[in-house]
Amino acid sequence: MTTIRPPRIPETETAAPGRASAAFRVGVRRVFGAEGPTYFLLLGTTLFLVVFGLVMVLSSSAVEDYAATGDFFGSFVRQGLFALIGVPLMLIAARLPVRFWRRWAWHVMIASILLQLLVVATPLGHNVQGNTNWIKVGSFTAQPSELIKLALVVWLGLVLAAKVDRLSSWRDLIMPVVPIAGGAILLMLVGNDLGTAVVLLLMVLGALFFAGVRTRHLAVIVVVVAIVGFLATSVSSSRSARIEAWLHGYQGSQYEAWAYQPMHALFALASGGVFGVGLGNSKMKWSWLPEADNDYIFAVIGEELGLIGAIVVLMLFAVLAIAFIRVIRRSDDAFVRIASSCVMVWVIGQAVINIAVVLGVLPVLGVPLPLISAGGSALISTLVAIGIVLSFARAQERRA
Amino acid sequence: MSRRRIRARFTIAALATFAIVVVFTFRLVDIQVVQAAQLNQQSYDSRSIEVTTYGTRGEVVDENGTVLASSVDRYNITVAPKVILGTHGVDSTLMKNLDDIAAKTGQNVQDLVAAVTKDPGSNFAYLAKGVDTSVFRAVRDLRIAGVAFEYAPARVYPQGATAGNLVGFMGTDGPLAGVEQMENTCLAGTNGTESYERSQDGVQLPGSTVTQKAAQNGGTVKLTIDADLQWFVQQALGEQVQAVQGSWGTAMVVRVKDGHIMAAADYPSVDPNDVNGAPRDASGNLILGSRAFTNSYEPGSVFKPMAMAALIDQGKATPTTQTIAPGWFTTPGGERFTDAWAHDDIRYTLAGVLVNSSNTGVSSLVERVSDQTRYQYMQKFGIGTTTAVHFPGEDKGILRPASQWDDLSRYEIGFGQGVTATSAQVAGIYQTFGNGGVRMPLTLVEGCEHPDGIVTDVPSTQGTRVVAQKTANEMVNILEETVTQGSLKSTVHIPGYRVAAKTGTAQVALPNGQGYGPDHIVSVAGVAPADDPQYAVVVTIGMPHTITTSAAAAPAFSKVMSQTLTTFRVQPSTKPAPYIPLTW
Repeated sequence: MTTIRPPRIPETETAAPGRASAAFRVGVRRVFGAEGPTYFLLLGTTLFLVVFGLVMVLSSSAVEDYAATGDFFGSFVRQGLFALIGVPLMLIAARLPVRFWRRWAWHVMIASILLQLLVVATPLGHNVQGNTNWIKVGSFTAQPSELIKLALVVWLGLVLAAKVDRLSSWRDLIMPVVPIAGGAILLMLVGNDLGTAVVLLLMVLGALFFAGVRTRHLAVIVVVVAIVGFLATSVSSSRSARIEAWLHGYQGSQYEAWAYQPMHALFALASGGVFGVGLGNSKMKWSWLPEADNDYIFAVIGEELGLIGAIVVLMLFAVLAIAFIRVIRRSDDAFVRIASSCVMVWVIGQAVINIAVVLGVLPVLGVPLPLISAGGSALISTLVAIGIVLSFARAQERRA
Repeated sequence: MSRRRIRARFTIAALATFAIVVVFTFRLVDIQVVQAAQLNQQSYDSRSIEVTTYGTRGEVVDENGTVLASSVDRYNITVAPKVILGTHGVDSTLMKNLDDIAAKTGQNVQDLVAAVTKDPGSNFAYLAKGVDTSVFRAVRDLRIAGVAFEYAPARVYPQGATAGNLVGFMGTDGPLAGVEQMENTCLAGTNGTESYERSQDGVQLPGSTVTQKAAQNGGTVKLTIDADLQWFVQQALGEQVQAVQGSWGTAMVVRVKDGHIMAAADYPSVDPNDVNGAPRDASGNLILGSRAFTNSYEPGSVFKPMAMAALIDQGKATPTTQTIAPGWFTTPGGERFTDAWAHDDIRYTLAGVLVNSSNTGVSSLVERVSDQTRYQYMQKFGIGTTTAVHFPGEDKGILRPASQWDDLSRYEIGFGQGVTATSAQVAGIYQTFGNGGVRMPLTLVEGCEHPDGIVTDVPSTQGTRVVAQKTANEMVNILEETVTQGSLKSTVHIPGYRVAAKTGTAQVALPNGQGYGPDHIVSVAGVAPADDPQYAVVVTIGMPHTITTSAAAAPAFSKVMSQTLTTFRVQPSTKPAPYIPLTW
């Protein structure tokens, strides 16, 4: 495998020589004043979603936690701790220079793939509800797939930015994106984690799309992926069953295996109505709705906070998307554009898939709602990814 | 690719995001508003569960509130053999579980194994029935899969056999005897229904309970009896029946002023807590009710005062009316009968006829009023109709209308043959004498107090005048002579009190209707104190063997009357008994 070292880009933000007062002013600005409105829009929305997520995790997990462990606050405290780790990491990432991400892109990519190999090929892999997607060392568990998403962000940015003018050639398009990213996706499928595989695939397609790959090439890739996906689905009975249940609508079949969960999500939403039953009053979280604090947390939001709460969440993700697009559109740097769009596709795409599943628009895929669902690795990696975009936004402000 | 086209792609992305938000919003509105009602119904149906709430059956208490019957929480332990046996059958785990259950319920573990393996494919079998709450909780906390519980409220009778004949008992499907049956509409609680929503693992969701129909507790039935006196009467009666080797006995204490039954004892009697251990009659049937109400017999001489009262009340005779009691009495149709002892003609007064219990004497007097008048008096005394108690299975006895009286029965009925009555009806006669000639409805149930405080089933207090007060008082005075000068002289003596009583010895008719057999039913009925009667007591013993005369019942009568007067603190007699000549 060839390693492409990114060319060193001259530091544009180096303090201008001159009078001491000017240097001082620049120094102060670097510490406090480098953040603009887009930065704060992104940061504020993210923090709001994290805090909102904590509240919803507490509400949706308390009953089942108590039934299982006798402690109402287990999931909430864990999620809170991850937020306490994740938010500082995001703020640190937001202060790192763009070159840092370029420098470490390949290392992180390779390290994350090796970790995922450990998961699928060694006894360190840990199976949660049929998904071998966890690494377990002692009592510590983590999802390397989340690290892969993070690695993919900077790695795709780096690789595609370097080839941004040569992407009309199939060879440049395929190497090294297809073997590395395709390998990562394959590892997800081996671990039986369809949801993450779909998200990774979307990230790759999104990166290609926003890197400016020709529409014709994109179409070919999409067709190939669709055929492979169709074949993969037909050989897995559980997947075709999920799709079958989805296609027939979940009505009247609530006790059939693949309709039970989505049906109870609809029950939860319906019971919420316009104004919701009130925070903490969900009935479906009483062990009826599996994964109420995770893949189906949006259903509990809809039940407790109603149509209004659910639309607010939709709006918050739309605001996130707007913030991402603002960062991307203002950037001259292909690396920044591609990496940012990768994060956008990841966070927004995953949210869309999650909500679509809850609403019964898509078959069950097993994807958590970013920033809100319970899950440590996912929260931290998402926050760091947003931290990366924040660092780009910061760099733009400083240049401006 | 040009920068512009890439920018266009971002515009597409923004538009796509917007479109998705719109689509999701529509979908949310569809689910949360448009389809909400239908989905909620479906959801509620799968989540809610309807349960029965139990109305507790009311208590039966005595006059002083002593509990005679009450309900307790009991549980049946059920099992699904199919579940508990699983695929492994009787293995060490199952045995351990059954051992645990047996340790809590005190059963033999082999019985549990038998219950489980009897029908291995079934989903329901009983492991134990009627365990109390502590056992239920202990077994429940074992958390054994396949073991379930059902609420099975049970009935307990804290006083045991005391008043067991009156209280009756509950069968599996309802009340089967006594007050339990008689007052079932008052006692029975109404079960209600509630529904609640539950979590998938069965936890009741807070605040989700909806009561469709509230359970209604049953009312409390208050009896007129005094449980302490009832115990004493049962005891005294039982001792006496055993002493004379009788087959059965009844004893009843009635307060004359209101007809309240203070005690009504039967021997043998049933402990409602152990119905299957109840005594059996000659045909092997369980004796469960109260013979005092359900068994009529030819009462014999205790009926004589009723016949004589009719004469006095009609003004056709007085206590001192003179008559001659022949040794043999011959009816116009040629039927002949004698007294219990052989004698020549005796010159008795009416009082003397009664005190000496002369059949021929009575017969020589009764013709002074018409048959129809005598019949009407007997009816007014309550003969031929059930008492106001309406005890389950109560017998109304046989009193043929006067038009059907034949040559012999015209006289016989005067001394209590050819007519039947229950002990309760006999008690009614003496209550009437004691109460100045006014018969009060015989009362066992004072009322039913419902949980809301409303009292129903209040008995009538409307008395019926049967004979004039003077007649009644004269009758009591005559009957007192029986105790002071007559057959009860040696057996009935209650210091401080004047007692008026009458004996009765009736032969038991043969089942084939061909005359009388060797068995007797003996009784003593009376009131005390004679100067101001408060209580009427009737003691009857069936088929005594060692003594076949009324002397068999007299000691029990004496004890019961004595205890009654003591229990209710009746003032001792102050005036001496009047003198009435018995012969002339």
